[in-house]
Amino acid sequence: MSKTILSVDDSASVRQMVQLTLQGAGYQVIQASDGAEGLAKAQSTAVDMIVTDLNMPNMNGLSLIQELRKLPSYRGVPIVFLTTESDPEAKKKAKDAGATGWITKPFQKDQLLAVVKKVLGS
Amino acid sequence: MMSVDATDTFRQEAQELLEHLEHALLDLERTPADGDLIDSAFRALHTIKGSGAMFGFDRLAAFTHHVETAFDLVRKGKIAATGALIALTLAAKDQMRRLIEAPEQADEETGQAILDQLQAAVDSAAVTAKPGESAASIGTEAALPTWRVRFRLPKGAMATGSNPLLLIDELHSLGQATVVAQTETVPPLEELDPTECYVGWDALLTSDQPREAIEQVFLFLLDDMELSIERIDDGAEVERVGEVLIEPGAVTLAAAVDTMLTAQEPVDQPLAKASVSDNKVSTALDEQEHLRAAASSKRTSSIRVPAERLDEMMDRVGELVIAQSRLRQLTAATDDSQIKSVVEEIERLADELQDITMGVRMVTIGTLFGRFRRLVHDLSRDLGKDIELITSGEETELDKTVTERLADPLVHLIRNASDHGLEPPAERATAGKPAKGRISLTARHAGAEVLITVKDDGRGLDRARIQARAEENGLLAPGTKLSDEDLFKVIFEPGFSTAQAVTNLSGRGVGMDVVKRTIEELRGSIDIRSTPGDGSEVTLRLPLTLAIIDGLLVRVGRGRYVIPLSAVEECVELTEEDDTRSTGRSFLNIRDELVPFIRLRELFNSPTPPDRYQKVVIVSAGDSRVGLVVDQVIGDHQTVIKSMSKLHADVKAFSGATILGNGTVALIIDVPQMVEDGRAYEEQFLKAS
Amino acid sequence: MKVKALDHPLEVLTMALQGEVFALEAAHVREILDLVPVTEVPGSQPFVFGIINVRGKVVPLADLRLKFGMEQKPDTIDTRIVVIEIDIDRVPTVVGIRADKVYEVTELAPSTLADVPRVGMRWRPEYIRFIGKRGNDFIVVPDIARILSLNSTEPTPAVSDRKSAGLALASR
Repeated sequence: MSKTILSVDDSASVRQMVQLTLQGAGYQVIQASDGAEGLAKAQSTAVDMIVTDLNMPNMNGLSLIQELRKLPSYRGVPIVFLTTESDPEAKKKAKDAGATGWITKPFQKDQLLAVVKKVLGS
Repeated sequence: MMSVDATDTFRQEAQELLEHLEHALLDLERTPADGDLIDSAFRALHTIKGSGAMFGFDRLAAFTHHVETAFDLVRKGKIAATGALIALTLAAKDQMRRLIEAPEQADEETGQAILDQLQAAVDSAAVTAKPGESAASIGTEAALPTWRVRFRLPKGAMATGSNPLLLIDELHSLGQATVVAQTETVPPLEELDPTECYVGWDALLTSDQPREAIEQVFLFLLDDMELSIERIDDGAEVERVGEVLIEPGAVTLAAAVDTMLTAQEPVDQPLAKASVSDNKVSTALDEQEHLRAAASSKRTSSIRVPAERLDEMMDRVGELVIAQSRLRQLTAATDDSQIKSVVEEIERLADELQDITMGVRMVTIGTLFGRFRRLVHDLSRDLGKDIELITSGEETELDKTVTERLADPLVHLIRNASDHGLEPPAERATAGKPAKGRISLTARHAGAEVLITVKDDGRGLDRARIQARAEENGLLAPGTKLSDEDLFKVIFEPGFSTAQAVTNLSGRGVGMDVVKRTIEELRGSIDIRSTPGDGSEVTLRLPLTLAIIDGLLVRVGRGRYVIPLSAVEECVELTEEDDTRSTGRSFLNIRDELVPFIRLRELFNSPTPPDRYQKVVIVSAGDSRVGLVVDQVIGDHQTVIKSMSKLHADVKAFSGATILGNGTVALIIDVPQMVEDGRAYEEQFLKAS
Repeated sequence: MKVKALDHPLEVLTMALQGEVFALEAAHVREILDLVPVTEVPGSQPFVFGIINVRGKVVPLADLRLKFGMEQKPDTIDTRIVVIEIDIDRVPTVVGIRADKVYEVTELAPSTLADVPRVGMRWRPEYIRFIGKRGNDFIVVPDIARILSLNSTEPTPAVSDRKSAGLALASR
């Protein structure tokens, strides 16, 4: 059974890129265009992993992670940031909020796949 | 049921020895003073002579004896291995092969002539080589370093999605790893928080990867976790358990010595009494095993197996995979945990067995590349051109039968490149190219495929000549304008040949069309790129596995079909407007690119009414894409490919069949065929509009 | 290709299709199956329109009724699939033959051509291998290899025709 990944980003082209890359490797991908929609989708569909931007309207990535980690069903689910931010302070904040890892934009296809494979298996 | 004919075994061994001899001789040409190579060649000759005599190949034994004598002189340093001597020995090797394969036909005179020349060469070789001076030895294989990696996850790591099992898998993927869990800190059940990881791990990893690669595994946890990576001295004597334990500080040296003295027992034993936890002892034993295995892995032992037996094994494993998946389906509904756990166990074992057997048939393509060195050597001589063969990617692995079937096509391509591609030295000089023509042979993995390229730096393909010849032979209407890509494809049509004279070398009836067919039979593809004046490059793409497919299971009407996952790019919904636009074929707009789509319901004549929301699976082959409209995308499916019966050879839409978990058969869609159909439709459409 | 009269006893498996009894050489028969799910192969010749799973092997299913212009009544509990292995164009091929009813393995006695009455029009002479005798009846042993082979030697579309074949399929 293939695993499902939720891609949360306010940029449609980033979401498309993520979808294309991951679907090609056999994962299913669903999309959300901001933190609020991401939270809603994560609650209505059980996903196996979440890839989210940091800066978004309607609930940013940090708050999204904090909310998700409150849900019992999302403890232990990998959540990875995909963001232009590379500041170590921001990374620490993300870690404290409960992020599993991060990828800096712009990203290479192979890089994204490697990280997903690392935290999710194939 | 197989009776092994002893003579056959000898023949097989002799062929291998002859190949070995040839390699040694070719290498010797470059480094004539290399003692190891000389020994190697001598040993091969000696063994062939001895076994030949045993199996009744008397002429072979007699002939080889003389060659062996000559080489013995080289070995003892009495004469040097001159170019002439080596060339003669190569010729002798060919005669030996003839004496093995068809002794009645091997010409006595040829053999005698070689021996006479050999004698002359021996007599005239000056004693210039200093005895015992061996060139730098080939170098012992550097032993791979072994690291001891110990790690423990920080608190709360699993709650933030870290999975230690995946970390361990990653370690395994870096090389040979032995991993042992350290469970002493696991609290009793009442105090256990199931979302915490109390287990630490000790791993011994033998790998060619640098230390950074090991650290990279723990990328997201580096800051907070416990991690130690130490290199263990390579070449060290495999430590006794006692020593292995003392290192991690499990037992102090003094304590061990004391206990040993008081108990007067062999060192290993007292450790049990030194209250080292069982866990630590077993870790140490495992580590010791690992070190031993790593040290002895160079001395790999191998066994010869008839290919049919491997095929049989593969078939059985394939059937096992099918049966196991059916078992899983049947037990999916049960609550019996015992049955469930056995089913899971069987699944795991079947998966592992499958991996192992797939691996068994894999051989490195280097075995094939090796053969070509002699070919290029001979071509160089026969054509009067200076040709250099460069290879890379020898370690790329392929299924054994695929490798064998690639031999002929590759030989043809190399011959072509040498004969037609590379210019004669004078022409090269005028063109300002180096005198040595270069042919590069490369192999590499790309996704689920293996790419093999044959590249030359010769004159490149002559568009005008190809066009002219194609028109001459009726393959093209005169004046048709085609892109480079399409024009070059014509070369593969049967009935095409640009050779003005069919030379002895490349005109043996193995035309480019046969090359293409062979590649397609292996479910691969071939294409050519070329730049006039610079050279040409032929690329072969082959699927990595013959037998197993990762597919996307879809439903069209009442039937189920499998689309190879490697060809699938994405799935989109068929919007109502796309749907109602027209029946038959049409185009989808995917991110501003027009992609033709095919309604499989119509192609397959499905009698049932269509699903409300149809899906389009976008597939690609090469640079072209097409969308396949299906009623439902069901999910993945992985199992063995079964080939279609001869009675269905005319059905082009499918490349094979596979058996689903419920025991029914599903057809595998031939994506290149679909893409081709899509392209044809697109062209028609574009011409019409 | 004249119809041969059987000149030696032959072990056969007798079966029925639409009331007509005929026989297959027992030596060719691998096994007899009850009805199993059949997967359609779109684009195949109509009388080998399906494939089945025989213990992991994908085997085509031949419905001779379509070859002989017989009516295709629905399957009954007696319907069987006889899996045979024969050489078609010198290639050993496994194929399943659909039968309305399977009777038994029996021995056919030799008979001379003169004894043979005009066999029903169903059987084109080139489709018949032997006609043998069982008791007072004459039983046809069809030449399955030729029946199936005649079909598969129909010209396959040439490379340049592939496009039209694809489009033709779509317009069916």
